[in-house]
Amino acid sequence: MIPIYKKEIRAYFTQMVGYAFLAFMLFLVGMMFTFNNIFPQSGRFGDTLMASSTSFMFFILVPILTMRLFSEETKHKTDQLLFTSPLSVAQIVLGKYLAAFSLFMVGVGLTVLFPLSMVRHAVEGLPASQIMGSYAGFILIGACCIAVGMFVSVLTDNQIIAAVATFAVIWVMFVMDALAMTMPVSAGASLFFVALVVLAVAGTWYYSTRHWLSSGILAVIGVAAAIGLYIYNNLIYDAIIVRVLLWFSLYTRFGVMSLGILNLSDIVYYVSFTALFTYLTMNVIEKRRWR
Amino acid sequence: MNLTKRYGHHFAVNDLNFSISAGEIVGFLGPNGAGKTTTMNIMTGFIAATKGDVIINGLDIVAEPEKAKAQIGYLPDTPPVYGDMRVDEYLSFAADIKGVKRAGRKEHLNHIKNQVHINDVSRRLIKNLSRGYRQRVGLAQAMVGNPRVIIMDEPTIGLDPKQIIEMRDVVKNLGKKHTVILSSHIMQEVSAVCDRVMIINKGRIVAQGTPEHLSSNLSKSGGKIQVRVKADPTQIREALKEYTVIRHINVLDGREPGTTDLELAGDDGADIREAVFRCMAKHNLPLLLMKSMDLSLEEVFLRLTGDIRGEAAGYELPEEETAKGGDPA
Repeated sequence: MIPIYKKEIRAYFTQMVGYAFLAFMLFLVGMMFTFNNIFPQSGRFGDTLMASSTSFMFFILVPILTMRLFSEETKHKTDQLLFTSPLSVAQIVLGKYLAAFSLFMVGVGLTVLFPLSMVRHAVEGLPASQIMGSYAGFILIGACCIAVGMFVSVLTDNQIIAAVATFAVIWVMFVMDALAMTMPVSAGASLFFVALVVLAVAGTWYYSTRHWLSSGILAVIGVAAAIGLYIYNNLIYDAIIVRVLLWFSLYTRFGVMSLGILNLSDIVYYVSFTALFTYLTMNVIEKRRWR
Repeated sequence: MNLTKRYGHHFAVNDLNFSISAGEIVGFLGPNGAGKTTTMNIMTGFIAATKGDVIINGLDIVAEPEKAKAQIGYLPDTPPVYGDMRVDEYLSFAADIKGVKRAGRKEHLNHIKNQVHINDVSRRLIKNLSRGYRQRVGLAQAMVGNPRVIIMDEPTIGLDPKQIIEMRDVVKNLGKKHTVILSSHIMQEVSAVCDRVMIINKGRIVAQGTPEHLSSNLSKSGGKIQVRVKADPTQIREALKEYTVIRHINVLDGREPGTTDLELAGDDGADIREAVFRCMAKHNLPLLLMKSMDLSLEEVFLRLTGDIRGEAAGYELPEEETAKGGDPA
């Protein structure tokens, strides 16, 4: 893992991607700092982080960071070196992930200078817990977005496609709140939604196992259970689409954290989101070998 | 092993089965798309076989990938080099991922650089190197960590004739300490360096053996020789009459004015070369050329893999063609 990590860090700084990322990140946060803290004479640095994260930060900057992780290796066939070396797939994926995450953390570390510069000027002191909560949320969202970006990067050998697709996926996760509010809330629509999810799961199962019988049984039992539940107690279905989408929203949880409230469930959500996409990345690589 | 790799309904590699003993230099020979690269990718664990297993030095590449891969150095068809690394950086990265110990690493890498002659480009960025140098850097990478088995996919593709000769020497040297498996679609290449050749076509091994064995066995010419004599056919027939060991006489189209080309053979592949010489000397007929009519590896290859000629191994080329073409081997 360490050789890959070292190699990736070095690549970030020989290819200029690392410098570009840090420069744009500091520019963006600095600009938001000017609008949210300097002009209004406010000590709420959490607002700056919030504003940065909803603007270019994660849609544009993270794809720049992650687009090359696997696409470049596939394109230049250097993946043959990595995957025929004695390293395991997990070591390679984690090494790359940690390298991207470290670079992100370097940027985060540099932005700490902004709130520190306010300490002397804040008459009533800074809202420390809110700032720390916002930082926690900012870092956790960053971790998630990097995992998504890495996953997209393993799917294509074209860096531009990787960047654009990552942009699209992360953007959808950010507008999930707004999207959720437009969804129907009736029980019938919810049942339809649940059935679709069940079929999607069965489809994925078929895709990865190529086993008709088990995926068919999964689909039939899942849909039957959903209908059964609907007949038994359809209150469960109330606004389920909205609830599910909101649960998936990266941004809703960030709002809670920026108030200085750290819920274990939120942290678990972000960490498992990251773990899921890291795992999926390894899975795609393994699967490609067996294709 | 019985390797099979299937993409949908297309069998890239079909029931391939072979074993290679330590210290051998083995060549895979086959036309483009024969399944050479696929086989190598399976052997190195880059892709998995649909069916069958690969055992390297007692280690299964799927069951114990980390241990098995540590036994292999692989140079794929495109050298897996990072353009923005210097040669030295790249080699030490290769040493890192292969877990080469820090102690003695520098000497090890220097030794490899000497062997493949890349000392003078150590400090250069790989993206600025020529194709030949990149290929050598790729080979150096495969040698890092002294793997028992070195696998090379088309190691001389894109090299100029001088570099090809150098590469051959490097491969021969490697064969002293390592088991080497290489692939090529160029016959001379394989016959020059390999102890054993496997001819692969459409995912199957169609023939294997030493280069000499392959060419003599498959041609089934049974000690046929071709001679060129400065005399006319009747004179020669007359002269050959008293030599009963020479049974089959076949006059071919002459290629030089005033000479006759003949195809001669004894019984059951008996060696008739000396008899022919004595006969011609006795009758004072100048013998200009005498060559064995074994097929060159190239002809064997064409015969085995050719689509037009059919795949029958026993098929014989028309005599004319054999006589005209081919190098004086």
